[in-house]
Amino acid sequence: MLALAVVAAVGFVGLLGQLWYLQVLEGGRLQELSEKNRIRIRPVAAPRGILFDRNGLALVDNRPAFTLSLIPREMEDRDTVLARVSILLKIPIGELQDSLDRVPPDSIRAIRVRRGLSLEEVTKIEERKLELPGVLVEVEPQRVYPTSTFAAHLLGYVREVSDEQLKQGRYRRGDMIGQSGLERLLDEYLRGRDGGERIEVDALGRPVQVMRREEPNPGAQVITTVDRRIQEAAERAMVGHAGAVVVMDPRSGDILAMTSSPAFALDRFTGNLNREEWLRLVRDPMTPLMNRALQSQYAPGSVFKVIVTAAGLQEGSLTPMDRTYCSGEYHLGAWTFKDWKEGGHGHVDLRSALINSCNIFFYQAGFKVGPDALARYAQAFGFGVPSGIDLGGEKPGLVPFAEWKRKRYGRGWQAGDTINMSIGQGQLLVTPLQVARMMAAVANGGVLWKPRLVERVERADGSLAYSSSSRTTGHVTLSPVVWNFLRHALTGVVNEGGTGAAARIPGVEIAGKTGTAQSVAKSDSSKGQDHAWFASFAPADDPQYVVVVLVERGGKGGQVAAPIARQIYQVIFLEKVAMVSLGSGS
Amino acid sequence: MLRLDRRLLQNVDWPLLAAAGFIILLSLLSLWSLAPGRGGSALAWRQLSWVGVGLLAMLVVVSVDYRNLVRAAPALYLMGVGLLLAVFMLGRTVSGARRWIHLGPITFQPSELFKVIFILVLAWALTSRRAQPLSRGALIGTFALIGVPILLIVRQPDLGTALVLIPVLAAVLIGVGMRLRVLGGLALAGVAALPLAWLVLKPYQRDRLLVYLDPFRDPLGTAYNVIQAKIAIGSGQLLGKGVAGATQSRLAFLPERHTDFIFAVFAEMWGFIGCLVLIVAYLLLVLRGFEIAASTRDPRGRLIALGVTAIFAAQTLINLGMVTGLLPVVGIPLPLMSYGGSSMVVSLMALGLLLSIRMRQFR
Repeated sequence: MLALAVVAAVGFVGLLGQLWYLQVLEGGRLQELSEKNRIRIRPVAAPRGILFDRNGLALVDNRPAFTLSLIPREMEDRDTVLARVSILLKIPIGELQDSLDRVPPDSIRAIRVRRGLSLEEVTKIEERKLELPGVLVEVEPQRVYPTSTFAAHLLGYVREVSDEQLKQGRYRRGDMIGQSGLERLLDEYLRGRDGGERIEVDALGRPVQVMRREEPNPGAQVITTVDRRIQEAAERAMVGHAGAVVVMDPRSGDILAMTSSPAFALDRFTGNLNREEWLRLVRDPMTPLMNRALQSQYAPGSVFKVIVTAAGLQEGSLTPMDRTYCSGEYHLGAWTFKDWKEGGHGHVDLRSALINSCNIFFYQAGFKVGPDALARYAQAFGFGVPSGIDLGGEKPGLVPFAEWKRKRYGRGWQAGDTINMSIGQGQLLVTPLQVARMMAAVANGGVLWKPRLVERVERADGSLAYSSSSRTTGHVTLSPVVWNFLRHALTGVVNEGGTGAAARIPGVEIAGKTGTAQSVAKSDSSKGQDHAWFASFAPADDPQYVVVVLVERGGKGGQVAAPIARQIYQVIFLEKVAMVSLGSGS
Repeated sequence: MLRLDRRLLQNVDWPLLAAAGFIILLSLLSLWSLAPGRGGSALAWRQLSWVGVGLLAMLVVVSVDYRNLVRAAPALYLMGVGLLLAVFMLGRTVSGARRWIHLGPITFQPSELFKVIFILVLAWALTSRRAQPLSRGALIGTFALIGVPILLIVRQPDLGTALVLIPVLAAVLIGVGMRLRVLGGLALAGVAALPLAWLVLKPYQRDRLLVYLDPFRDPLGTAYNVIQAKIAIGSGQLLGKGVAGATQSRLAFLPERHTDFIFAVFAEMWGFIGCLVLIVAYLLLVLRGFEIAASTRDPRGRLIALGVTAIFAAQTLINLGMVTGLLPVVGIPLPLMSYGGSSMVVSLMALGLLLSIRMRQFR
């Protein structure tokens, strides 16, 4: 028994010996080791997934960029270090302090304070590395765009997660996330998963060893329905105009191009957009951040005559044989409504009224069809409800009807309302995307597509993360005779000297309808105040492309919007033809 | 059941209780200071609630005459083996080992409880009338009896607990008067079987052994714990860094810092002086245990006191040896210090046995 107690006691004394050795004899050395035991946790950003067009051309890419980071725990004399950085890189010191104030002062995590450093700036930091403990430059993948405004609204911008978004708990500070457009919609896929490194560093901040490294998981690749060539053509054609273009495949609802003008510079967001620049963007009266293709609502103007015609023919209240004489004026009680053409169009029938966009004929037609049927057909063609495109912030537009007006204004439907509606004015509001969908239905015989932007998402390992097929959200049933009439009349608009003649391209049959819409602001009908529309599809006998152009305050649809559509068709058809012939020649 | 004779109460071993209480206090303090105001306080509170449960269990153990517990040993044994078997079927796997049973919100580690049962079974087998005088046959029977649960524990795998049981067995055998020559022979046989054991070990266990022999073999993997623990302990120096300065512990360089490596946290904060105080407390506890064993006439009480004391001594020495880098890393908690409910409750129950024997010595 005593022996056992002695054994135990000896064991304890031995332990004390080891502790004496460690803590007293070796204590100084180990103390130093613990001081030097500096560990950094460095996130290794996952490269964001690439967005491709339908033919495999990249719409965005990544390139390595320099990021300035601070490690709070390693900044011994914080104020001095911050002051140095502030002077070297001309960053307001308050901005640096703000970034540091958001994390605990003894954090071993690198905080990114500025992205997109120039090579010159990096050199400045590296040269003075010894005077800047806790300051480091890291290399991270960053978005790069073909041109700074390319498909800006469609792609959307990527920016560091905001304090607001951090509260959702899905992100970590410093994460770059999609803030609008497809980048936001597909952020979960595109972002991938960041890796991280736990590294031990020496007193100079040089990595001694990587203790643990978790490889980043790159984001998934997105194959969109966009055709980069057409997108570029649409953007080129819109230079100098405000408005929107939507190009859709009427056979599938695929969005081939979508542009909103003026656009914003995507690459300004990836770097460091300061407050001033941001406010300038938000307060710009031209609202460059807004995607006019789906977030802006306009009166459709004469484009709506397509629906008046469809409703009238299908309901039997109009026939192709209806004729009227257009003197240029229409009298209703004490009011006089004028045609856009001084002196009128003379004798017109339904077809020529559509081709020449005769208002007088359609005032009468509107009364024959009646406001209820107009509203019903407008809704059937997808007006008044969002198209269901996956991009956020879509506006539903507005289809006015008697009940609605009574509720909203406490007044009944007036004859003047019918007059306005029959030429697409008044309270009727649509988005360019809705018009494209409507035109696609005319082109394909009544199918209303849910606009499709994303074909599929492929993970980095090649497996399929998401794929979508075309989906319809409605069907407009009209007699084949009516569809035929519409298509022929719309072909006439462009090819028989109608209002859309400016869109004509020899060798390609384009069908379309122009529109000139009074802007919502009180119109003084001076030139340049009206919105110009051109809604079209081609080839007329086998429609593959719907092109809708809207130019804000552009003037007449036939004069402003139709030539823009023509430019786009030229790229679609003529360059395609050229490419095909080149291919067969070799 | 909880009725205690006044005469019994006069014989409560206050120094023993004081030493244990002091250690528990230091444990709570260390857990608290791991992350003051943050996760640490939650750990300390939970540990405190386990202390409460443990004290109740201790009271129950004290109130029962330990001789009745020895009589009940076969039943307890069957229950214990049943629980160990249950671990295999219902057990939760945590870092590669199945040691825990999930009971609603709490998990429970049967191998911890088995330590106490192990001692009672030894006492029962070696002191029963049939085993007197102690023959070779009785010894072999005893080994067979305890071999089954030890194998089960090794298979979990919970090498640490199994390892603690060996010195306990040795101590108890010495206690029943086995000659040292015989014991030495057994030990030699055990050493000879070591190469065999190597084959049984899991890869991570082999790593630990190799790392013990050469800590810089793998400075970022298994040896990381050992190196960081050494740095933590050493950097405490003579007087310690205090709570705020204990960067090793608080900045999470130290893995397993609230469980098996809690001593390193304590050592960094309180230095050599603090360690000296803590180790003296453990030494007092152990010596008091041996004293109780020595002064007990009843062979059953003697063996139990010896076994319990041996468990405390072995576990404390092995844990401290491993944290200070004297022994390879085997996962065993420091009794009364490490965070963990099963360990705390069982340690207090074992103390209860000691108290119970002391109280009934003089009747």
